[in-house]
Amino acid sequence: MSPRPLKRQPPEKPVNNKKAIMNILTLLKDHKFRLTLTIISAVISTAFTIIAPLLIGQATTLIYDGTNKLIHHTGSIDFNSLTHILIIVAILYVVSSLFSYLQSIFLVEVTTKISYDLRERLIDKILHLPMEKVEENKRGDILSRVTNDVDSLQNGITQSFIQLTTAIITLIGVFIMMLSINVWMTLATIILVPIAFLLMRFMTRYSQKYFLRQLEYKGSLNGQVEETFTGHDIIRAFNQEEISMDKFESDNEKWFSHEWKSQFYSSLNGPLMNFISNFTYVVVAVLGAVFVLQKAIAVGDILAFFQYTQSFNRPIQQITRVMNQIQTAMAASERIFEFLELEDEENLSDKELNEIKEGITFENVSFSYTPNEKIIKDLSFDVKKGEKVAIVGETGAGKTTIVKLLMRFYDINSGSIKIDGVDIEKYDKNSLRSHIGMVLQDSWLFSDTISNNIRYGNLDAADDEVIDAASQVYADNFIRQLSDGYESELNEDTDNISHGQKQLLTIARTILSKKEVLILDEATSSVDTRTEKLIQKAMDKLMENKTSFIIAHRLSTIRNADNIIVIEDGEIIEQGTHDELLKLNGYYYNTLKAQSKE
Amino acid sequence: MKKLLNPMINKIPQIGLIFIFLLIQVYCDLTLPQYTADIVNIGIQNTDFQFIIDTGLIMLLMVAISAFATVGVSFFASRVASGYAKDLRKIIYEKVLKFSNHELNEISRSSLITRTTNDVNQIQGVLGFIFTTLIFAPLLGIGSIIKVFELQTNLSWIILVNFIVIIILLVIVMVKVIPYFKIIQEIMDSINKTAREILIGIPVIKAFVRQDFEEKKFQKVNKDFYDVNIHVFKTMLVMLPLITLMMNLMVVLILYFGAYDAINNGVLTGDIIAFIQYATMLVTSFLMIGGFFIMLPRILVSGRRISEVLNTKLTITDGELTEISQNPTIEFKNVSYRYPGSEKETLKDINFSLKPGKTTAIIGGTGSGKSTILNLIPRLQDPSSGEILIDGINIKDYNLKSLRDKISFTPQKAILFQGDVKSNMQIGKNDASDDEIRKALKLAQVDFVENLAEEVTQGGSNFSGGQKQRLSIARAIINRHEFYLFDDCFSALDMNTERKIKDNLKDLKDSSILIVSQRISTIMDADEILVIDNGEIVDRGTHNKLLESCDIYQEIAKIQIDYMEALS
Repeated sequence: MSPRPLKRQPPEKPVNNKKAIMNILTLLKDHKFRLTLTIISAVISTAFTIIAPLLIGQATTLIYDGTNKLIHHTGSIDFNSLTHILIIVAILYVVSSLFSYLQSIFLVEVTTKISYDLRERLIDKILHLPMEKVEENKRGDILSRVTNDVDSLQNGITQSFIQLTTAIITLIGVFIMMLSINVWMTLATIILVPIAFLLMRFMTRYSQKYFLRQLEYKGSLNGQVEETFTGHDIIRAFNQEEISMDKFESDNEKWFSHEWKSQFYSSLNGPLMNFISNFTYVVVAVLGAVFVLQKAIAVGDILAFFQYTQSFNRPIQQITRVMNQIQTAMAASERIFEFLELEDEENLSDKELNEIKEGITFENVSFSYTPNEKIIKDLSFDVKKGEKVAIVGETGAGKTTIVKLLMRFYDINSGSIKIDGVDIEKYDKNSLRSHIGMVLQDSWLFSDTISNNIRYGNLDAADDEVIDAASQVYADNFIRQLSDGYESELNEDTDNISHGQKQLLTIARTILSKKEVLILDEATSSVDTRTEKLIQKAMDKLMENKTSFIIAHRLSTIRNADNIIVIEDGEIIEQGTHDELLKLNGYYYNTLKAQSKE
Repeated sequence: MKKLLNPMINKIPQIGLIFIFLLIQVYCDLTLPQYTADIVNIGIQNTDFQFIIDTGLIMLLMVAISAFATVGVSFFASRVASGYAKDLRKIIYEKVLKFSNHELNEISRSSLITRTTNDVNQIQGVLGFIFTTLIFAPLLGIGSIIKVFELQTNLSWIILVNFIVIIILLVIVMVKVIPYFKIIQEIMDSINKTAREILIGIPVIKAFVRQDFEEKKFQKVNKDFYDVNIHVFKTMLVMLPLITLMMNLMVVLILYFGAYDAINNGVLTGDIIAFIQYATMLVTSFLMIGGFFIMLPRILVSGRRISEVLNTKLTITDGELTEISQNPTIEFKNVSYRYPGSEKETLKDINFSLKPGKTTAIIGGTGSGKSTILNLIPRLQDPSSGEILIDGINIKDYNLKSLRDKISFTPQKAILFQGDVKSNMQIGKNDASDDEIRKALKLAQVDFVENLAEEVTQGGSNFSGGQKQRLSIARAIINRHEFYLFDDCFSALDMNTERKIKDNLKDLKDSSILIVSQRISTIMDADEILVIDNGEIVDRGTHNKLLESCDIYQEIAKIQIDYMEALS
């Protein structure tokens, strides 16, 4: 089960109604033809359903009159007319059902296509957003737009469209039919409708109050459950079970006391509707009988009226229900479009970067995520082709940011990064990136076979190239030991191989991609010693004759680098070779000394 | 599933009331068509105004009673459903509190959270509906049947035929559709999965310029989803129009054959009208029950997930001994641990002891089993074989509460709870005074907390990793214990802070301390260091001894030794 946020928000309402409706209308616009078919089918289907009760009433009247004649021995039921009427009724019903089916088919085709397109657009957006926008939004939040929001939008449109069109056509049609039978009876039954409608709205408002309040308690209780189960070890180790239970019970009780009221008030719509329809029923029966005696209507018309009032009450219930659904759909569309309206990553140039000949230069580079806080300050250094640069510094000093700037995941605020003297902003981003290979510590693999994961580096690679890449990074061995070898599937969380093995695979993937420039983040303590050695050897292999940027932790890497850059708070405080830095007697020297003392 | 019903037992009186109210409602509602028939058959036939008005008044009375009864049903149904959910949550929570790591790992914590919250809500959401439908629909059905027979027509077979046709249609549609539900769920999952993967992998996708590749990958799943959905909808949507059609055709048939009945058996027109209405009610009640069975699987899934929690067997049992001597010794004797279902032993034949005043350290790579050793001491889980002894008595014989009172435990992941700094410190000692708290905070180098009322958000997310570790160390040392267990809880601290805290820990010298770490610097001054590899103690001794004798220790130490060489 995928994790979802536990705290539920109050029933959602769109922030900007007009814009949300416009958005939905834009979505519908591309499907005008099918939507027209939907509405036409709805009209035919509903109209036929509405005409039928009138004929049924006539048939009943025929029977009533016939039986009366029979009693007075003046004749019998007119079976010819009766059969005639009933056959027409049956045809009406069949046609109506057929069109009702067509109506939903057309509509479902539209809405399924809409949600298909939306999902596609959302993924497209995710793939082309600037890095910081992806990082700004919570993952779960983005995902729920792709899944939940698209779903509720689809549901909302389908339900509301079908029910609203049917309800409106029914209301109008039935009203006309009832009027055609008898004006006074129509008025007597219709008068209850606006009252019912108002009562129901009032009831919904009233229950909303309790609903919102119980949501708060629910959120706090869910939060407590989440916390307790996550911190279960602490609860037990410190003998906190009773205290935790007491707190839970008191919150649980509070939630209950509001929750049941919220349920009760919101469920009162049922009894209300039941009362209204029963009451109307009685009015029809009594008033109908009186009118029959006055010869204003026929007996069968009472039956017709029963059916009409029934189909009059249903749409009202539907409309109230649909209103809620429309709101949810609107809120969903708002979130979807808010995301879709984000700007794509800019890629102003289409100039291809060819081979790198001389090297890479950072010139007075400054960068910050927020205007106030500079992450990288006035950074300058030079990397010649084929050289290795070790970037050293404490966590949070800005090491990873430097390499991400080179990848143009973010754009720098001032200064420039140049390749062979040309600003990298002059190049097509994708072309630039295709020259740089990146191996980070959190190794991302996808749930596919191992060989496909390695092949990600070069989609056209043949099988033996894949195997060769794996062998070069010492991964061949463990891969062959897996049950299906190279065709073993990594599962969703890719936890069926160890973290270290995952890193080996990402290195193999990068080897296969044959990049000119490499960015490597060395493993720290999370891998066991033996695997770490393998990874190290693999990385050394990968770096042979390549221009490399290494976020380094191991002394041997640092010592062998052509240039060491010591970063503190986004600034270079020392740079040079190992020997040069030791001679400086500065930060580098002191850190080494302090650590060796331990 | 039996345990799921337990919280329902004390609600039987309320459920009884729901039943009675529903009975009243159904009775009243069912009389209405009957009265209508009377109005037609007697009132209209005999032109009796008074009879019509009188009958109308009785009908209104019935309507009023019915309305009153439905409100009653709503009232009690809401109370029972909410109350049941409340009690169910309580017993789940109570049960989970008793879980050991063993059980927690088996079901997984995040799943336990969803089971206590979402799954209970799922059940509660339909519970009110179940009550009303499951009682109401049969009552309405039976009532309608009685009324139908009271009318003494020869038309009942039409209802039966209608029933059979509807059942056959339903079965055909369901047989066609049900296999697809699983497929839809699977494709939905894979859409989620693909989207999540893309989202997490954005840096790699951009680095390899694989945007188009990923787009195509997603397109494929998306298209599958589209195709299956269209197919299922097209089949499913047949159902509603067909059922409506069947009900409508039933009315037509009743009228046609009713006419013959009127001639041959003298059935009155009013009765035919009433018959139509009862027949409709009967079919409706049948459909309601059908709807319930469609909904049932959804609740059953949640129900099964919850009863799995409730039926989980507890592996930790409480002992009786409450007396534990001052300054006791803990001894591990041939202790092994194996995760349930795993072939490999996480711990193999562990022997060592913790003595008062001594510091023991454990070092080893990730997954070597270090944390498991620590978890065994406060019995967060029990060993699979071997025993752990306090003063020669197996710790399983001690009362859990008394045992845990002797132990201070600091887990690897610093966990704080919503509240304030004070409430978090009081977890370590329930009645800790402000002065005691400040002292502990100082010892743990918590220099960032000014005010003890400072807020701690859920999971302590308003503190950094290093700050959380220091707070959790403070919580561990606020009270005096016989044993202090520190599980790699200095990892996010810089060397300087760590050294200061360790200096302060010397205050605890009467107790025994067990430290787990990956850093040599953290443990080098321990009285005894155990080197663990693959769940086994491969060597033990002091820092200097191990540097000479133990390969693995040397290997781990090499990076730091490297630094030393670099300077010379």
